[in-house]
Amino acid sequence: MAYILQQLLTKSAARYPEKTAVWARGRSITYRELDQRSNQLAHLLRQRGIKKGDRVGLYFPKCVESVISMLGVVKAGAVYVPLDPQAPADRVGYMIGNCGIRALITKEEKRRGLDQATLASLDFCVMTDEAAKSGNGTGVIPWTMLADCPAAHAPEVVLTETDLAYILYTSGSTGRPKGVMLSHQNALTFIEWCAATFEISSEDRLSNHAPLHFDLSVFDIYNALEAGATVYLITEDLNLFPAKLASFIESEGITVWYSVPSALTLLLLHANLKAENLALLRLILFAGEVFPMKYLRQLADLLPHVELQNLYGPTETNVCTYYEVERDRLASLEKLPIGIACENTEVFAVNDQDEIVTQPGGSGELYVRGPAVTYGYWADPEKTMKMVVPNRFQPNFDEKLYRTGDLVQLGEDGNYYFLGRRDSMIKSRGYRIELGEIESALLGHPAVKEAVAIAIPDDVVSNRIVAVVAAHDGTAVKPSELQQHCATRIPKYMIPELIEFRESLPKTSTGKVDRVQLTEDSVRGANQPAEVVPQ
Amino acid sequence: MSTVNQTPAAQSDALKAQIRDFILENLAHAKGITSFTDDESLMESGVIDSLGIFRLVSFLEEDLKVRVSDEEINAETLKSVDSIEQLVLSKRK
Repeated sequence: MAYILQQLLTKSAARYPEKTAVWARGRSITYRELDQRSNQLAHLLRQRGIKKGDRVGLYFPKCVESVISMLGVVKAGAVYVPLDPQAPADRVGYMIGNCGIRALITKEEKRRGLDQATLASLDFCVMTDEAAKSGNGTGVIPWTMLADCPAAHAPEVVLTETDLAYILYTSGSTGRPKGVMLSHQNALTFIEWCAATFEISSEDRLSNHAPLHFDLSVFDIYNALEAGATVYLITEDLNLFPAKLASFIESEGITVWYSVPSALTLLLLHANLKAENLALLRLILFAGEVFPMKYLRQLADLLPHVELQNLYGPTETNVCTYYEVERDRLASLEKLPIGIACENTEVFAVNDQDEIVTQPGGSGELYVRGPAVTYGYWADPEKTMKMVVPNRFQPNFDEKLYRTGDLVQLGEDGNYYFLGRRDSMIKSRGYRIELGEIESALLGHPAVKEAVAIAIPDDVVSNRIVAVVAAHDGTAVKPSELQQHCATRIPKYMIPELIEFRESLPKTSTGKVDRVQLTEDSVRGANQPAEVVPQ
Repeated sequence: MSTVNQTPAAQSDALKAQIRDFILENLAHAKGITSFTDDESLMESGVIDSLGIFRLVSFLEEDLKVRVSDEEINAETLKSVDSIEQLVLSKRK
């Protein structure tokens, strides 16, 4: 049994050396090549001074080198940090500084976009683009240098399952993203459960729809490696076009698909899916947001041969519960359950009286316990202490629980059902978004006096984001200016699509901004324009 | 916008402007982008994402009255203002 991630690759490379491990953008590599390339990268990183536990950023669009890099970094004993290649440079710079990234694996166009202070903080950059030659700056190492490093074995590093493997950044309520620390054990708890539950075999062909800084990708990449299967990285040229994506799934014979529900909804609405063209597809997993029942029923009818699984869990636990869609219940189910705990994981709801909910119908905040739970947030003990808390229901030894912030109900059928959030975190297209982070970006503009970001429920993407802003007296600012300002601070999927101006924002009796009132106004107002998906 | 009594070239310019304005106001601004050229790839620059595509298609169908098939929703046809204009013109022939 593997206790560190790279052992999954070592095992499959020994067993299936000539099999394709990864496909992306028309290129592929075998298990042997992936193993050797990642060994070489690990040696290169060590030679340049990367030590156990150091953070290495991956900052380039998805490609074959992404998987080589993930494995190369962990083989060096280091911790990889996938950075969203679409995120504004300012946000990426923050993450690099926040977790003290020492080296970047990147492309020249991405490296060039970073500010001088960030670049100066790095020891070196490894460039994945062929064109990049050393001499573009100090500490710039071309990918071709890998060829000079030993390929047969990874460097000697002592690691245990409790060492960190990667850090994933998610939206933070106080205006800056937070780095969720995940150990090898955290990841493998989930990967091994998936391997057993979904019976992934070396014959499977898995899609990778999610970006690599998104925890859904952990299943795609590592469960493929675990089984000796092939993972197909889906890039924007495919992802944007449902009809093209559907023919890709068909022509490559994808057997296991995992994505956010909105990606499936777009396929459903615009790709003319047919069961006979997708005969090889056997399993669809979805997670990240609530799947509207209307579309799930359509999908279940359209693909009667495909097993459908709803996975639930915040990045801090990867996945902690699952529900296998029961087709005979679909017509009568009003709401899709998030299901029951995965193996080697315990979940329970804690009600307002601080008691564990044991009776059907009871509801409370969902807590998670077990080896899948994160250590917390990098360099943020305060936030960590709020979310990763001592287990007060068990007095015998020190143990941590993760508070999800999600309110759930225990159903009569034994499944948990998602009710909502305790705070102002929302989901849009499966992305976790703290409305506070958007507000903080808006308030960073000199003309803005008050700002509230609002989520408008939407059938396809879960939520659309709008904002209501009051400017300082006498300042004129256009919505597009504020959106442009936001684009320098937050990712595109967080930028409000509409910004409404008011002289001042309504207040509650306690003097706080009246979010409830504003949300009601916005939902009412936003129900006319911008019908996102034509029916 | 009226296109009566305009030369074909002027009609084409008006069409292009209409497409450009829609993309700028409804898609680009919401991504914090304030300008793009007519031949620029709107996907590469991040103006159009997976949902933006369908807002664009709704605009083509509802405002410009051209029917767009699922197969036509692809990277070549919807690449830029220029290519979208070509799609509309080819449909109007």
